[in-house]
Amino acid sequence: MTEESNQLNQYPPGDLAIWVFILAELAVFAIFFASYAFTRMSHVELFNQYQQTLDRDSALINTITLLTSSYFVVRAVQAIRLNHRQQCERWLWAAVLMALLFLFVKGHEYAHHLAAGVSLSTNTFYMFYLSLTYFHFMHVILGMVILIALAIKTRKGDYSDTEHTGIETGASYWHMVDMVWLILFPLVYVMR
Amino acid sequence: MKKSQPLSVKTATFIYLLLVALTLTTWLAGQSSLQGLSLSMLVLGIALFKAQMVGDYFMGLKSVTGLWRWVISLWLLIPGSLISIAFFLS
Repeated sequence: MTEESNQLNQYPPGDLAIWVFILAELAVFAIFFASYAFTRMSHVELFNQYQQTLDRDSALINTITLLTSSYFVVRAVQAIRLNHRQQCERWLWAAVLMALLFLFVKGHEYAHHLAAGVSLSTNTFYMFYLSLTYFHFMHVILGMVILIALAIKTRKGDYSDTEHTGIETGASYWHMVDMVWLILFPLVYVMR
Repeated sequence: MKKSQPLSVKTATFIYLLLVALTLTTWLAGQSSLQGLSLSMLVLGIALFKAQMVGDYFMGLKSVTGLWRWVISLWLLIPGSLISIAFFLS
């Protein structure tokens, strides 16, 4: 275990380029969220009615799954900073498993909607619900691919306590994917 | 680039458990018969706080100085404000 220090850094962890990318991604999600909220203003009854058709239990499982994966990624970063490569790799694979669980649960939700004949053109609420969650779903897939690549590179010995910028970069991206879901979950599934 | 400061296992675990507890609170609010502006603002506030925790502790921005320290806070302010305005007006 390491002790926290009061020393501050000039830049966030990881490659600075990923932070520019993260900000661009967050800007797109902010537009999506605001569009949902302002469109809802003129369709309050419709949004409230169809929100009740969503599986809030699955959303809860997926939120906890993403939080857990983020925690595992934090532990992976902590491990590599101590040069514990095997531990780091295990935490990364554990995070990948959580990502797969998220995709499975979300995929199950999509299958249910598809079987019920729901599509983008069903109504305005479903258009937003499917667009927003599918856009996020694609980010989970990309983040999972990054985590897999990091785990493989860790096994090959590419990272150490002195060189782990790659892991911090991937971790920052994964936390962004988690953070976006933390806003999406209450906005789409709970707020009414 | 300077090496960023590590987060202790104890702090990371505490933050994780807090985030899970707040998530359960949001879910319970959703399961209740409550609705309207109060419910919406409560769960939105919880969500913004959780996202800030992820930014501060998991992304490590608490150990950063200058504009980068507040980049997630500034981002949260934008959708947070716009969503609040839209729900107030609806």
